[in-house]
Amino acid sequence: MPVIPAELTYSGGRPSADQLAARLLVGETLLAEHPEHLVEVVDVLKSYGEVLDAYSINLIFQAERQFLNPFPVFRFLDGDLSPAKIWRHLNHDRINFEYAEYCMKAMLWHGTGGLDAYLDSPAFLDNCRAVIQRKTRRDPLLAVLDPLFPGFLPEAIRAAATTHALGQFWRVMSDLFLDLAKAEASGSVASIAAVVRFIQDGLVRAAAQPISYAVEVEGNSYWILPPEAGLTFLVDVAVPYVEAVFLRGMPFLGTVSFNAQAQQISPDQAQFAYGALYADPLPTMGAGIPPSLLMQDMYRHLPDRLHALYRRRSRSEGDVRVKICMSFQKSMFCVTNAAIAGTFPHPLDSNDPVAQAANRAYADAWAARLSVARTDCLDPWSDRIPT
Amino acid sequence: MSETLPLPLQLVWLIPLYGFSGMLLSLPWASGWFRRNGPRPAAYLNLLVTLLAVVHGSLILREVLSLGAQQVVIPWFHVADLDLRIGFDLSITNLAALELVTFMSLVCQVFALGYLDKEWSLARFYALVGFFEGAMAGVVLSSNLFMSYFLLEMLTLSTYLLVGFWYAQPLVVTAARDAFLTKRVGDVLLLMALVALSAWAGSLEFNDLYAWIDRAALAPLPATLLCLGLIAGPMGKCAQFPMHLWLDEAMEGPNPASILRNSAVVTCGALVLVKLMPLLRLSPLAIDILLLVGSISAIGGALVAIAQVDLKRTFSYGTTSYLGLVFLAIALQRPLLALLLLFAHGLAKALLFMSVGSVIATTNCQDLTELGGLGPRMPATTTSFVVAGLGLTGLVPLGCFWCFALMVENFRGSHPLFAGVVLLTNALTSFNLVRVFRQVFLDQPHPKTKRSPEVNWLMALPMISLAVLVVLTPLIIDRIDPLEAITAISPTSSVLVLATSLVGLAVGWVVRLDAFWSRSLFRPLRLLQDLLAFDFYTERIYKATIVAFVAAMARLVNSVDRVLVNGLVNRIGSASLASAEGLKLGVSGQLQSYVLTLVAAILILLASLAWLKA
Amino acid sequence: MTLSLLLLIPFLGAFLLLLWPSEPAPGRMRAIAITTLALQLIWSLWVLFRFDPSLEGMQLQESYRWVASLGLDYRLGIDGLSLPLVLINGALTLVSAVCTRDISQRPRIYFALLLLISAAVNGAFLAENLLLFFLFYELELIPLWLLISIWGGTGRAYAATKFLIFTAVSGMLILGAFLGLALLTGTADFSLTPVLSDRLAMGSQLVLLVALMIGFAIKIPLVPFHTWLPDAHTQASTPVSVLLAGVLLKLGTYGLLRFCLGLFPEAWKLVAPVLAIWAAVSVLYGSLAAIAQRDMKRMVAYSSVGHMGMILLAAAAATPVSLLGAVFQMVSHGLISALLFLLVGIVYRKTGTRDLEVLRGLLNPERGLPFTGTLMILGVMASAGLPGMAGFISEFLIFRGSIGAYPLATLLCLVGSGLTAVYFLLLVNRAFFGRLAITPPSPDPVSDSRLDIRLAGVALRETLPALGLSLAVVGLGLVPAGLGWLSETTSTAMAALAAHSGGLL
Repeated sequence: MPVIPAELTYSGGRPSADQLAARLLVGETLLAEHPEHLVEVVDVLKSYGEVLDAYSINLIFQAERQFLNPFPVFRFLDGDLSPAKIWRHLNHDRINFEYAEYCMKAMLWHGTGGLDAYLDSPAFLDNCRAVIQRKTRRDPLLAVLDPLFPGFLPEAIRAAATTHALGQFWRVMSDLFLDLAKAEASGSVASIAAVVRFIQDGLVRAAAQPISYAVEVEGNSYWILPPEAGLTFLVDVAVPYVEAVFLRGMPFLGTVSFNAQAQQISPDQAQFAYGALYADPLPTMGAGIPPSLLMQDMYRHLPDRLHALYRRRSRSEGDVRVKICMSFQKSMFCVTNAAIAGTFPHPLDSNDPVAQAANRAYADAWAARLSVARTDCLDPWSDRIPT
Repeated sequence: MSETLPLPLQLVWLIPLYGFSGMLLSLPWASGWFRRNGPRPAAYLNLLVTLLAVVHGSLILREVLSLGAQQVVIPWFHVADLDLRIGFDLSITNLAALELVTFMSLVCQVFALGYLDKEWSLARFYALVGFFEGAMAGVVLSSNLFMSYFLLEMLTLSTYLLVGFWYAQPLVVTAARDAFLTKRVGDVLLLMALVALSAWAGSLEFNDLYAWIDRAALAPLPATLLCLGLIAGPMGKCAQFPMHLWLDEAMEGPNPASILRNSAVVTCGALVLVKLMPLLRLSPLAIDILLLVGSISAIGGALVAIAQVDLKRTFSYGTTSYLGLVFLAIALQRPLLALLLLFAHGLAKALLFMSVGSVIATTNCQDLTELGGLGPRMPATTTSFVVAGLGLTGLVPLGCFWCFALMVENFRGSHPLFAGVVLLTNALTSFNLVRVFRQVFLDQPHPKTKRSPEVNWLMALPMISLAVLVVLTPLIIDRIDPLEAITAISPTSSVLVLATSLVGLAVGWVVRLDAFWSRSLFRPLRLLQDLLAFDFYTERIYKATIVAFVAAMARLVNSVDRVLVNGLVNRIGSASLASAEGLKLGVSGQLQSYVLTLVAAILILLASLAWLKA
Repeated sequence: MTLSLLLLIPFLGAFLLLLWPSEPAPGRMRAIAITTLALQLIWSLWVLFRFDPSLEGMQLQESYRWVASLGLDYRLGIDGLSLPLVLINGALTLVSAVCTRDISQRPRIYFALLLLISAAVNGAFLAENLLLFFLFYELELIPLWLLISIWGGTGRAYAATKFLIFTAVSGMLILGAFLGLALLTGTADFSLTPVLSDRLAMGSQLVLLVALMIGFAIKIPLVPFHTWLPDAHTQASTPVSVLLAGVLLKLGTYGLLRFCLGLFPEAWKLVAPVLAIWAAVSVLYGSLAAIAQRDMKRMVAYSSVGHMGMILLAAAAATPVSLLGAVFQMVSHGLISALLFLLVGIVYRKTGTRDLEVLRGLLNPERGLPFTGTLMILGVMASAGLPGMAGFISEFLIFRGSIGAYPLATLLCLVGSGLTAVYFLLLVNRAFFGRLAITPPSPDPVSDSRLDIRLAGVALRETLPALGLSLAVVGLGLVPAGLGWLSETTSTAMAALAAHSGGLL
């Protein structure tokens, strides 16, 4: 058998946890500094920002306008029922909002952080009861189901609350990513370090932004997530989102067997490592790989500069969505990097040994998780083997 | 084809083509022709053609109800004494089965739209389902064995492709392979029987075959082999012991396909056996084997189901079990009972699998030990599970209650043993359903079920529609077959069915769940648990026997080929060239060898000819 | 001239290439070859149009005296046995010329040889004179030998020599048998039509038949004369493999039916039971050997041994249905094996390997070879005899026609057909399912999952020939009546000849 040409296969480097922790502690970026990396990250985040804009609008529409609708047939149309829009919808010439719902489900299902805790609080149940009472008055189906299945409507409201919170979170992120693209275009962001700093600043700025959610039923407004619950952007939504979508994720039917006897899936959700930072980009667009939907959406909003870059690589247009996925993973490392940098317990330049130890422990905890993630994409040379 | 037939009947050949055309229509999306747009139009087109199939099927059914059964035959391939035809047998039972198949396909496709909402390969899935549906629709209507075989093989292929849908998943790779090969074993045996039957009987039309057996004078051995071959195909399709392994593994495939497989596909396989039933008279031994296979499958399947921790697998073994009962009914020459049970089981099992699908979609989990407390939060799913469970057992007078009661009534006098098998299966199934229900829907929420909102409407709606249908099954059974009157069932039979169901329910209700699937410390119980949980170690037995045998034969032949045959050739080559360099010689050496062999060959030949002439 | 043009067109094309002034670009050579072969195919279709399937015997006959002293006449004719093969030859040589790309080494000779082979094969199928047949049979040998030994893989010298020796022996045996027939019957007439053998004693008939039989068995090939085939295939380039499997092996089975059965019907009946067992052994042997292969091309080559063996079974049974099945099997094996070799060739070109222990996940939609994989699934399913494709109806006809005469051998062949599914499923599942990889699995699965695989994409034009063949495979499987109509009269007549030969004496 002939020897397989080396340029057809490539395995990126895998920095150890210690190396990663060291980089985090000195404020070095995880993703290597490289002009093409900058283009990839900025442009992919730009297209991601445009997609998130649509996701965010739709999630908020769903939470507010399709609240407890048992047959939300038109939930992806944002209230626009013109024939042209319906035709585009039927022709699947549209953003795949299913992926937004998928992320929402991941957040709801993993259930970490302040938002989830609030969803179990008596205050939340009181809010639910008030809304349900009002809603069931005019809705015979729900009126019958509620007493028979007492958990049904509160659970649906929890899903709606998560949907709305995710919509609010993505609103901020979308604006941030689009601003980043503008900043890069204007020249004020010109390196990976600057990108990370830009995102970090944006996150810090939005950190304390309140998260709240009210619905209108029969002309009355009801709080589901009232301001007095004190939910905020960073701790209660962003961190659980990172945990649920970036890190833990959910097993893909296309790569993992759900067979209980095979025990491929951990019984402990905290051990999951199927998230965006861990997923294998190569099967993108294959069967049973939900992020394919996101890659397709970003493909539809791909900036020309990045598209031109991709055309020069490997299969040109043929495998563009795998390349988007690889760039997306790079950009998500930048976002994670920014989030970590923004949440160190103490300033990194502190000389206090206690503060240093606390920072060290924090960096180690992250590095341990990231060291088994797809760090191979951090290597600047991973895409540059001539083909 | 008679000119006087009404149009829907004349166009009956379209019925399988609806599904197949769905496949063709999906191809542009499945092949990635559209780069910007998603694959959903393929799904809508498939739904449309399936709807056409349902409507066309009901038009035909309406005509046939007034005209009586009809046959439509189209010539396909005729050479010498071989006449292969495309034939449609439009009897009420076949058409009822057609309606079941096409309707299930329709419901499943709607369900899949919800279940696979994040699936980018949706078009490929629908293409395969279209193919699946076309083949099934053809099988149920087929009026001859050739066409039945033809389409059964297509079912095998589409099962392989559907199980292999998530081709990148490691267990799918082996599951798809095993599904194909197990069914293929059955198919090849059936093909052997088909070829023999075609040579012996001439025509392969079922009606001609029925007429043929009266004058067929076959020796016992060929007759038995023939019948065993005929049984083998449906056995593989219906996942009967010992060819049941694939159904377990096929659960690696997408759930909507599992719904079809556990309801419609097995029905197709059994329906072929029903059509073959009159031929089995040729061999009493084959009937006995059928009874044995049916009984083992019924009870063995139900027992193995109880020991499963996987939500899908526990019910797929239930399918093996129920089809075992169908086999019993066929072996005992009660085709109507078999059909009724197929019908009642098909609807209820499909509903059960839909409910299972929505549990998996919500919780990302199939492990029973990690599920719990879904009942109060998932109305459609819970209702469906309960209705399906009631439809499958003899607790309330839904579908299977009447089927079981009729079976017990029929077998009680002549074959009490098989009446016992029916009752035991009923009890074991009730037990299994109750323990799963307690674990999944009652109990406390587990981490993976802590947040479990009801599934989206595309899954909930088909589930509820089917649940309504399951509730209405007794009425439909009454419509299909007013003769096997429910009133003919004696109270004893009804009470027996009810009592066994209650026993199963009661034991299932009180058994300690935690102790039941954690492996017991008590050694004999643990051994039994493992034996059942690993399906009587069927897979290992196969590996150690058939697989090992074929692999060993392949290795043997390969080494014979390399060492003996090829080695000999090389040695002759070297010898004839009288050179140690052997075959590595240059052009001149090749020329030498050429001439040498030429001369030698001609000399030998001429010498022998001269000798012969003299 | 109708039939002669089938020879003349490719011959003239070859001459044109050889005489072309200066050294033209390879692309030009390829264009000339493709045009010539396209003309040949169009002319074959014209012959098909002129052909009347209802007539028994040879049609469109042409006869010219050539070397009368040797009994070598130029006599051509066509019937329902040779017509499908002429069509297959026309189609597959065109396919192999089309799928010849980037041929940098001596393109002029390469394409000339390709055309020469096509002409010689047509000549062999059309020849109505035994010596003429032999001439064409030998004429095809040297070009193929050159194609393997010049444009083959690294082990080409060994494989080409082996091919040469085997085929040479085959040719000698055939020639010897023809000469012997003339010698013993005392006529110097080598024309095909008269059945001379009934003048001979059974002993002589048997000797001649056995010699002829072994001659063709080498070509088909049947176990144990097959070992040249896997080596030749693995060393040959893709277009040559297509030609070899799709067209040249058919010369063997054609000879089996035309000469072994046609010239010695009486002796044939005597040895037929042995032949049936031989067929079963060959089928099972080929299938089992295929299971053990890890080189995709060797696997397909061994599957050829298995599938061609079924034609021997059909010939042994010699019923109208089985003989028609044999024609079907020749056509469908030609299409299917050509398809499989094309696809394996694409995989090899893109990945640099055919090793089943190494290839995985090629169905990957973006980085793998998804379309090639789809066609491969279709191809292996057709080869495994799945209904709806050409392989099924061919095998069904053979089994149906043979089971009455040789039930045991037929059932064993059925088992062999079932085994086809085993090895081809292994091929598809190993190479195309799973996570994309073209390297041996490492002990650490995590590092496997990090391998970035960068195979070049497959352009649509690269798969077009395979797509065309796939459509033909499905078409023949769904509408077999066309080919049946074409060949039924001939196969029925041959079966009648075999059946009644005993009664003539």
